[in-house]
Amino acid sequence: MKIKYNFLVVVTLLALVLSACGGLGQGTPVVLRVGWAGSPDTLNPGTGVLAEAYTIFALVYDTIYEYQLDGTYKLDVAESVEVSDDNLTYTFKIRDGINFHDGQPMTAQDVAFSVNLYKNNPDFIYLNAYTVNFDTVEATDDSTVVITMLSAVPNMDYLLSYLYIVPEHVWADYTEAPASTEFENLEMVGTGPFKMLEYVQNEFVRLGANKEHFDNPPKVDEVIFQTFESDDVLVQSLRSGAVDMITEMPATAVETLQGDSTIQVVTGAPFAPYVSDVIFNQVDPENCPTDVGGICTGHPALRDRNVRLALAHATDKQKLIDIVLLGFGAPGLTLIPDGLGHWYNDSLQDYEFDVANANQILDDAGYLDTDGDGVREMPDGSRPLTFRTHWPSDSIDAPRMAELLSEMWSEVGVTLELQAIDPDALTAECCPAFDFDIILWGWGSDPDPNLLLSVYATSEIPNGYNETGYSNPAYDELYVQQGVELDLDKRRELVWQMQEIVFNDVVYIIPFYSQTIEAYRVDRFTGWITDTPKIELSDVSSLVQVEPVK
Amino acid sequence: MSRYRFLWKKIGWAIFTVLFVVVLNFFLFRVLPGDPVRSGTRDPRLKKDAQEALRIRFGLDKPVINCFETLNPIKVGDCAINPFETQFFIYLRNLTQGELGFSFHTNRPVAEVLGARLWNTLLLIGAGQILSIVIGMIFGILAAWKARTSIDYGALITGLVAWSLPTFWLGIILLFWGSNNGFPIGGKATPGTSSYPFFYQVGDILRHMILPTLTYTIVYMGEYLLVMRSSLLDVLAEDYILTAKAKGLTTFQILKDHALKNAMLPIVTIIAINLGFTVAGAIQIESVFSWPGLGGAVYEALERRDYPVLQGVFLLIAISVVLANLIADLTYSFLDPRVQAE
Amino acid sequence: MAIKAAELKPAVPSSPLSGFWRTFSKNRMGVVGLVMLVVAIVVAIFAPLISPYDPRTSKGLTSSDIYNAPSAEHWLGTDDAGKDVFSSFIYGSRVSLIVGFFAAFISIVIGGVIGIVAGFYGGRTENLLMRFTDLLLVIPDLPLIVVIVALTKPSLLNIIFVIGLLGWTTTARIVRSQTLAVKSRKFVLRARAIGAGNRHIILNHILPLVLPLLVVNAILVISLAILNESTLSFLGLGDPTAISWGQMLNFAFGRGAMSAGAWWALATPGFGIVWVVLSLTLLGHGLEQVLNPRLESHHLMPGRPTIQSEAEVKSEDRKRRKESPVLLDVRNLSVQFLNDGSVAQAVHNVSFQLHEGEMMGLVGESGCGKTTLIMALNRLLPAAGRISNGYVYFRGKDLASASEEELADVRWSGISIVFQGAMNALNPVRTVGDQIKEAIIKHIPTMPPGQLNERVVELLELVGIAAEHKNHFPHQYSGGMRQRAMIAMALSCNPEVVIADEPTTALDVMIQAQILELLDLLRKKLGLAVIFVTHDLGVVAEMCDSVLVMYGGVTAEFAEVDTIYNLPRHPYTQELLKAFPDLSQPEKRLISIPGYPPKLDALPPGCRFAPRCPLAFERCSTEMPRLHELGDGHLASCHLVEAS
Repeated sequence: MKIKYNFLVVVTLLALVLSACGGLGQGTPVVLRVGWAGSPDTLNPGTGVLAEAYTIFALVYDTIYEYQLDGTYKLDVAESVEVSDDNLTYTFKIRDGINFHDGQPMTAQDVAFSVNLYKNNPDFIYLNAYTVNFDTVEATDDSTVVITMLSAVPNMDYLLSYLYIVPEHVWADYTEAPASTEFENLEMVGTGPFKMLEYVQNEFVRLGANKEHFDNPPKVDEVIFQTFESDDVLVQSLRSGAVDMITEMPATAVETLQGDSTIQVVTGAPFAPYVSDVIFNQVDPENCPTDVGGICTGHPALRDRNVRLALAHATDKQKLIDIVLLGFGAPGLTLIPDGLGHWYNDSLQDYEFDVANANQILDDAGYLDTDGDGVREMPDGSRPLTFRTHWPSDSIDAPRMAELLSEMWSEVGVTLELQAIDPDALTAECCPAFDFDIILWGWGSDPDPNLLLSVYATSEIPNGYNETGYSNPAYDELYVQQGVELDLDKRRELVWQMQEIVFNDVVYIIPFYSQTIEAYRVDRFTGWITDTPKIELSDVSSLVQVEPVK
Repeated sequence: MSRYRFLWKKIGWAIFTVLFVVVLNFFLFRVLPGDPVRSGTRDPRLKKDAQEALRIRFGLDKPVINCFETLNPIKVGDCAINPFETQFFIYLRNLTQGELGFSFHTNRPVAEVLGARLWNTLLLIGAGQILSIVIGMIFGILAAWKARTSIDYGALITGLVAWSLPTFWLGIILLFWGSNNGFPIGGKATPGTSSYPFFYQVGDILRHMILPTLTYTIVYMGEYLLVMRSSLLDVLAEDYILTAKAKGLTTFQILKDHALKNAMLPIVTIIAINLGFTVAGAIQIESVFSWPGLGGAVYEALERRDYPVLQGVFLLIAISVVLANLIADLTYSFLDPRVQAE
Repeated sequence: MAIKAAELKPAVPSSPLSGFWRTFSKNRMGVVGLVMLVVAIVVAIFAPLISPYDPRTSKGLTSSDIYNAPSAEHWLGTDDAGKDVFSSFIYGSRVSLIVGFFAAFISIVIGGVIGIVAGFYGGRTENLLMRFTDLLLVIPDLPLIVVIVALTKPSLLNIIFVIGLLGWTTTARIVRSQTLAVKSRKFVLRARAIGAGNRHIILNHILPLVLPLLVVNAILVISLAILNESTLSFLGLGDPTAISWGQMLNFAFGRGAMSAGAWWALATPGFGIVWVVLSLTLLGHGLEQVLNPRLESHHLMPGRPTIQSEAEVKSEDRKRRKESPVLLDVRNLSVQFLNDGSVAQAVHNVSFQLHEGEMMGLVGESGCGKTTLIMALNRLLPAAGRISNGYVYFRGKDLASASEEELADVRWSGISIVFQGAMNALNPVRTVGDQIKEAIIKHIPTMPPGQLNERVVELLELVGIAAEHKNHFPHQYSGGMRQRAMIAMALSCNPEVVIADEPTTALDVMIQAQILELLDLLRKKLGLAVIFVTHDLGVVAEMCDSVLVMYGGVTAEFAEVDTIYNLPRHPYTQELLKAFPDLSQPEKRLISIPGYPPKLDALPPGCRFAPRCPLAFERCSTEMPRLHELGDGHLASCHLVEAS
């Protein structure tokens, strides 16, 4: 009897396991599976921080303006806009016939409500910042929204492209803190081409198609974003067919995947660029922001442009790109990446990799190796050119880069003391404490250059966002100007000028702008958008368009 | 001492340990340098006011232990009204209500974040522990019984090698072999199956559990094998085994009725002690296999320096270990009649 | 004076260290582990010489060098930065070993100090320290490590400290228990008595005895430290500027080794870790076996088959001594012990007959083979022993060549044993009543439960134990009660023969008398035959019908009790009697027998007693005397007896 019982148990278990392998066959929806290594931190657009959250927001919500992969903005829920002559009043005509996912109609009231929601909540980390210049936002009737400004801005479309339209009837009770920041928004009702079906944090996000979308009804029925803990696993999931597309992958796998006929690898400029930088602590000790905790222990040599220039010449950027990115990147100039399109000053000529020249510059500037140990000293012979070089310990590429830089710069008589530091501790010592010599870090960016440009501004030193301590009144003036210049061309000229200034001052060394690498299975879905200046296969434009391979 | 005094002494000590962990937990994460508010969101869009707002939201604006830390008269004034308005006491108060704070990363209550994950980890560890105990014991018994034969050496070497394998390494290897051979690539269940029939879901989860459980079993079985073997060897050399043999009992009867019960006593202690180590193992296995458990939560929170979550996990784990030790002690005392005589 | 099966000790080594080495070198696992470890250490030390490339530099590397498969230039391929994996592997051994050893060193020192202090001083100090240890044991290390690594920097030194600071708890516990055990030993007490200071005692007496255990534990701690370092690096908490195996795995896993198909980048460092950890585990295991030698033989090992070896000694029919039936007929029984190739003759050519209702005393010095003899009867010899000659006839069957099934029937229901020193002869975690019941159930399976319980109570009361003790555990019985319970159990299946192996040794005199009376009573009442093993001649004189005197494994003399006491013919018996006090002759001088009994693996060629025999002559040391029959079943093995 006992044996029989055990046997039954085993058989049952086996049956369960096998049944899961078979799957069900009745009328299955067309499901697109996307693999990524992160997960949205929240479904509340006001408090979201991670890129993955914004990917989901862009799919589930609509906005007044929408950012395209070619770098332009197009009107989304608004069908037209009128701008007053003084550029202080914007009148938007909202389309008719747009419904929320729960069936309720979307009106101008909802649009105005949403913008006000973000405007009135300073606790909303990012979205509130886009509304600082808004004065009033009103729905004058069911299809008209009027926004008045405190001062004119050149990039209204950019500002509005992040202000997701949420339903007033859902958010009415959550307009103020703390309700607004604590609201989890699990149902995530919006008007976008996809609607929220299921969300398990750090596991998956399941979206269903909104076939009644006014503009972009998707061809697939469902999209599932599945989270995997590591990049390696991500690639494997694509190869094994567990997912149909992956939004990131390590460069080292490109060669292998290119040899796989079922997979297509796509590379290009990323939608949200990331810029790696080599930060030189060049803050002026006399202007050390001690009242906010500035300590300013930077090596004096780094305040000398000659030293920074020599180091720039001693850096073989191509080798860095080859080894760290396996070639998937382009040499960098300033914090403004090439992915920012026309904002990027491509007329600047990068410093050539020329070790002899670098050595010459240092010799001429008086940094000689007086004691013959291979390391140069200050002109007054006091300190050797030994720089503490730190990076955040959660970066897997930075150690490799640090190693390479250390070797390259040893050719010009400079040594580095390498150390990985906990990101929190690194923030603490970076800025505004300025308790370091060199840091290897990086910035993420929006499509508008304003944020990255602010990092060079003197006004950001006490804030800690100016991490180099660079202070140039000429630059500061231009920064203010571009913030209010309404003419696109004129603004671009200003931005180009600013780039030239900081490039000539060698404020940073920008090793590279990395490319994005994504991949999809050619035997599952087709219609991926891969020919745009920016690549993002998980962008709404791609996802609404793909359909199963016949 | 009587059985009851023994019990109460153990329970009392367990409670004290938990309190100690609670206090330690608080200070552990306050000692960290850096500003969790800033570093979590390293972005120039985060303006000063928003930073302040975040700080207030997380209660980081209050003094840590007592009111006289900050000599800011305004703050001290607040405190004077209610001297328990310090981070430490707020922490304690929240704990009694089962609140573990809010995650820096997602702003959800930590207790909620960890709740579901706790069960997932228990499922995985539970299955793994049971399997490793059973397999380890069976082979340990076999090895001891057939001591000094090739079966013994074989089992011994297997146990020793298994014990020497780094957990995450074994996991990676199994994962890649498995994913090329039809096993799921990770996770607990196939996404989108939550509306499927119950048995399908159970089978799906079981399928996802196979590789991580296998990893766990291989790594931990070694220890149980070794302990069972040496324990049984000791027991089998005892006089009462000879008595049993002299009574005419068969080898099987002797093993079953005399040897195993005694030999298993050390195993009980090991299981409890192991719980501390299995946490480290769970962290590795869950991160390799993307299993949404407490270990995975630690790994993610580590990456993002989400201190409230780390703090919550730490507390949960420590309390579980204390509980497990307590249960092991009590179980041991019930199994071994000699213990009461202490 | 109790002995178990013959224990063979190796010859005394010339020095402790060489003795240790000799034993250790026989332990295959330990030696393999040591060799593996030495290889790893040598590789680490000579890394620059062995390594084909220098993995600390990236000079000359290009992106085409990344993740290259193993080839002639790169035996184990290249990693994510284009560096040679084999070279990194070799250099990585340094870091992994250094971290392991130093971290373990810190743990051992802290744990050792705390353990010794706690164990030695006891009281409050011990309590406090052990509570503290328990607390730390409970706290999960990983979050602790995060904090400390964040507070300081992810450098090798900090990692060493962190692992070291967290790894001492098990060491402390082990050291403490060992210190406790040593503390109460005589030589420590003596040292104290002559006024030695605490420090002196600790350093000179306790430490040396704790050290071996510490070494074994240290090995375990080192392997754990190495595993810990690799885990930390894998989780991204390691020092990326140091090449360690864990760091190699971190880079490989984080920079897409598997998806690039670069299995070598993952397999190699993992293999390194397994190699070193396994070597330490094997070494530790081996050391432990040497320092804590478990004979690695136990009672459930399969027995050796009986052989009939000595051709010359054929079984001889003997005349009956009495009219009553012979229950047990032992003929020319010889028992050997085989150990590592050497053969020890523990019992040689012993014969006797046990009649119904008879009590035979079996006497002799410790080590003379008494226990071996009786164990051989029921085939309960340890794994190293075997019957090398002779027969044991019981119920018409030869037990010496019977199968296990047949033996299982005969044991206990035919011949039962009352073991000496019943301390551990009863299973401590089962009730006494249960264990008695078990015997009955085995041999009389059809008895209904109610009757079973009655029978158990009946047996207990028979030996004078109140029924209420039926469900108590052995540790709740006094020494005398336990012995009586053993007797009860031995009688439970109505055996024909009961063997009592020194049943009253280690009991005080009053209890002794009780037990002996009881035995005698039961024997007469139930008609048992008893073999009574003892070295107490007074008891033998009082209670036994016949006596078998053994010396050096052979029968010295066998006769009726009166004959033994009044007409002993064997010189050994005579000397034995002279050495025994006689109440009727209070003024008799006791003469002890000079010398020591023979070592069973170094037996003299002639008569075994010859070296100590006052009547020995030349022939005695060259020729082994036969067992001569002197009429009426009186046997003696002595050349002097031959004449008559």
